[in-house]
Amino acid sequence: MVQFSEEKLTKVKEIIARYPEGKQKSALLPLLHLAQDNFGGWLSAETMNYVASLLQIEPIEVYEVATFYSMYNTKPVGKYVFEVCQTGPCMLNGSDQIIDYISATLGIKPGETTADGLFTLKTAECLGACGYAPMMQLGKHYREHLTKDKVDTIIAECRAAAAANN
Amino acid sequence: MAKALQWIKMGRKLLLEKAHVEGIRYYDVYRREGGYRSVEKALKTMTQEEIVEEVKKSGLRGRGGAGFPAGMKWSFIAKPEGVPRHLVCNADESEPGTFKDRYLMEFIPHLLIEGLIVASYALGSNATYIYIRGEYAWIPDILEQTIAEAKANGFLGKNILGTGFDCEIYVQRGAGAYICGEETALIESLEGKRGNPRIKPPFPAIKGAWGRPTVVNNVETLAAVVPIINEGGEEYAKIGVGKSTGTKLISACGNINKPGVYEIDMTISVEEFIYSDEYCGGIPNGKRLKACIPGGSSVPILPANLLLKTAKGETRYMNYESLSDGGFATGSMMGSGGFIVLDEDQCVVRNTYSLARFYRHESCGQCSPCREGTGWMEKVLLRLEKGEGKLSDIDLLWDIQSKIEGNTICPLGDAASWPVAAAIRHFRDEFEWHVTHAAEAQTRNYGLAHYADPIHVPA
Repeated sequence: MVQFSEEKLTKVKEIIARYPEGKQKSALLPLLHLAQDNFGGWLSAETMNYVASLLQIEPIEVYEVATFYSMYNTKPVGKYVFEVCQTGPCMLNGSDQIIDYISATLGIKPGETTADGLFTLKTAECLGACGYAPMMQLGKHYREHLTKDKVDTIIAECRAAAAANN
Repeated sequence: MAKALQWIKMGRKLLLEKAHVEGIRYYDVYRREGGYRSVEKALKTMTQEEIVEEVKKSGLRGRGGAGFPAGMKWSFIAKPEGVPRHLVCNADESEPGTFKDRYLMEFIPHLLIEGLIVASYALGSNATYIYIRGEYAWIPDILEQTIAEAKANGFLGKNILGTGFDCEIYVQRGAGAYICGEETALIESLEGKRGNPRIKPPFPAIKGAWGRPTVVNNVETLAAVVPIINEGGEEYAKIGVGKSTGTKLISACGNINKPGVYEIDMTISVEEFIYSDEYCGGIPNGKRLKACIPGGSSVPILPANLLLKTAKGETRYMNYESLSDGGFATGSMMGSGGFIVLDEDQCVVRNTYSLARFYRHESCGQCSPCREGTGWMEKVLLRLEKGEGKLSDIDLLWDIQSKIEGNTICPLGDAASWPVAAAIRHFRDEFEWHVTHAAEAQTRNYGLAHYADPIHVPA
């Protein structure tokens, strides 16, 4: 069952208190981030319904928001999600080649997840790191000035971290 | 005069001057370096109206892209009895080519918080929000720590500095939507909804977040309030030239040796900005300059010859007036300061396609000209890029963009149209070559062609 811990529920209350009385729906984006981080990296219908109940809003109000913003995953994703920027300035600095390289190395196309569930490759539109191109988002952080070697290192890092956690 | 300019050039940094002092991210060092003086001055010695007046005098223009005078925007805020007002800081920074606010928030976050406190006081906001793009996921931690430090030292919370003014600052993460940089979409998002822009009027200054009077300002704009209060609006206005007062952060990227964030005082030429070692440091591998998008992806792209000189043959400078000299026919815009350089190996068709894909992805879908038009432009540009286009596609693109521009609720439609229009306006022969030499266009780029040739100036 989808349920936040007591500690997380305190955090939820704290977030709701940032907004005017009765405007708790404003907490929807932060709560969806919290939920996605907590419940497997994506938002299932069950998770979204739970968030709706926390905010006392209709589930549809959650669905329409979750489907609007690109950072919310409405389908399961791999443990490590590579979101490679492909917009103008990154493209000028070789992002297409980086995407092709990751694709070939992992054997997946953008939008796909490896069979072992470790990696998902996504293309992203401008992430605001144009001076440090090519780059990608990996979890909370950016990996910048990507080269093929760097991509190899990052993939190895992820595999090692996954092995250590199992 | 030349000497004075030289001094200004070397000396004046107002925002990033201390950004590299060790430990400046933390309160103690920031305070030791003179931080929070503007809060003391504003809250203890100035009225709300006096602060707004100083910002007006400074000539500060909104640094997010539109360039609207900040003091004037503040003066529009409605003050109905008993209705709370809000300041919202726009840290959604999503315009391709732009990464200046991120730099400021990462390296010298107290400067933003200081500016926010002064602005909150001036506008009467007791609850102020920083709306930051969701992908900058590590920055809210920095900002929240900064806010906690300011609060622990009496600059935030209840009864700040014993003046009776209460203020809290909250950080709200977006979740990946360029459109939320548009102020009414940002407000919708802050309210927990899809980022669909609102029809204006009513403007946010009358009816903004939760129906309350709201001012939305960019990160850099709010940080600039600090030097304006410390030194006075008139002093601030002495820096720069004409209506381009103060300093501007430029995020430079693309094909340059030294990509990064630079604070300029708007008196340097575009040529110096690209080639001097103090700034971009020229173009790598001895390549030549082909084109540039000087103010973020939405502003018109210019070929090298029109970038460095205006159509009148005058030197073009890095400021609002000079960059827009010639209008859209031969000029561009300062925009958000996202400076994107293209060298001779770059393909303008491919670049335009990449940007068109971006706008299609980011269109909120509310207005049909934008929802349908951006996708259509992307499709046509892709077939031109792949050598599968027709000559009539170029006119078709022109037609589509002209029917999006001005026909949408928010400026995203314009932002999607302008890059396509400017690319065709200045690089039409490159588009045609992609049709007439379709096979060759798949093996090589059009190159520099005549785009850096001196422009004939009628006597």
